[in-house]
Amino acid sequence: MIVAVLRILLLFSLVFLSACERKPAAYHEQLLVFGTVVEVSLFGVSEQQGRQAVARLNEDFEYMHRTWHAWHPGPLGRVNQLLASGESFSAPPSILPLIQRGAELSRRSGGLFNPAVGKLIALWGFASDDPPTGPPPQPAAIHAILDQHPSMDDVVVDGIRLQCRNPAVKLDFGAFAKGYAVDRAIERLQEMGIKDAVVNAGGDLRAIGRHGDRPWRVGIRHPRQPGILAAVEVEGDESVFTSGDYERYFDWQGVRYSHIIDPRSGYPASGLSSVTVFSRQADLADAAATALFVAGPQEKDWLPVARAMGVAGVLLVDQAGTVHMTPGLTERIHFETEPLPKVIYSEAL
Amino acid sequence: MTRPLFSRGDGLLLLAALTLVITLYAALWHNEGHGAEAVVLVNGQRWARLNLFHDQELEVPGPLGHSHIRVHDGRVRFVDSPCPNKLCVHTGWLSQGGEVAVCLPNRVSVKILAQDPRFDTINF
Repeated sequence: MIVAVLRILLLFSLVFLSACERKPAAYHEQLLVFGTVVEVSLFGVSEQQGRQAVARLNEDFEYMHRTWHAWHPGPLGRVNQLLASGESFSAPPSILPLIQRGAELSRRSGGLFNPAVGKLIALWGFASDDPPTGPPPQPAAIHAILDQHPSMDDVVVDGIRLQCRNPAVKLDFGAFAKGYAVDRAIERLQEMGIKDAVVNAGGDLRAIGRHGDRPWRVGIRHPRQPGILAAVEVEGDESVFTSGDYERYFDWQGVRYSHIIDPRSGYPASGLSSVTVFSRQADLADAAATALFVAGPQEKDWLPVARAMGVAGVLLVDQAGTVHMTPGLTERIHFETEPLPKVIYSEAL
Repeated sequence: MTRPLFSRGDGLLLLAALTLVITLYAALWHNEGHGAEAVVLVNGQRWARLNLFHDQELEVPGPLGHSHIRVHDGRVRFVDSPCPNKLCVHTGWLSQGGEVAVCLPNRVSVKILAQDPRFDTINF
């Protein structure tokens, strides 16, 4: 009798052991494309499906990189030359949707996201493979561009034809091409039947589905120190985009000049360390992160922009390290720093 | 005649089961969120797998030269790299599963592996 019980116990112990087997893992691959690091995580795919899907994304990203690059020769470079001529011309089909979406997002941001100020970005030295070393440009050179008010409204779209009424316009999609590309990558994965995925391009990501039996776990890096500021879980379909002054900048005579240029002043925006935006569409999250960074730390400045752009959540870190957050994020954001940061909640979106 | 409590076979089976449990525990039961290993990638391809509790210094060759990576006390970081803006060095120490540091110009990256990573992906 006892032996029979022991035998049954042994059998049970085997059953429990089988419950200890490794949890199914996501398929991860890293690509160095699009001028950045693209990390693709897929769940519920075989090794072979994963490899095929990521190879396809790699081709897409390389194509988009060549096509939309702001300073390497290519289709966008040719469009900028033709826009500067003031003549009407046929838009390359690879560029037209970007211009239309860019114009729409620029209008919604009240012009704080402005992809028509490529000349300002080049003047500051940020349209280059190497980080600028300073000095900052002369005020007269900045004002020579600002006084002509380059805007996406100057680019007239008539069917597939384009014409530009303002010679100061130069398109630079650096502030939202990454988001636009991440959206295309997610669409591509969905076409291939993949339902659970994260595409993270240089730290900015869109996630669909889940990581098996749990949501995707995202760590938001601290803008001022190594390590993680906050953890957030993402599932279903959501993008998380961060713009920070630590990403690209140069120091000149003790002053830091970051790559996010305020299109109103012509100078780098300087009120915030970082802006993290949550929304479904990655291109909107990308453009909104830039627009909110320009708007600055005052709630009366950034909240109307966040509302007009239709984002789902905002987390700002100001220069003093204080976090400003929309109340909808309270339940989702878990701060990881010791001590916890000071948090100021805004009105609801 | 009374039967013994355990037959010889039962005893062996028990011993085997116990050994199996201990072996599997040692092999599979990591401190889950915290990574014990990291992987170094060059051009997106695996170049080395590191035990984070084996302190070491690595010179990883990339197109611009050698990136210097240090493993110390369960953590890993870029110490130096032949790139213009040293973003990889500024990333600092990594220890949590899923954390990653990248030197894009030299195409070298290091990522913490974990069985059940604290983070699947990092936003910055």
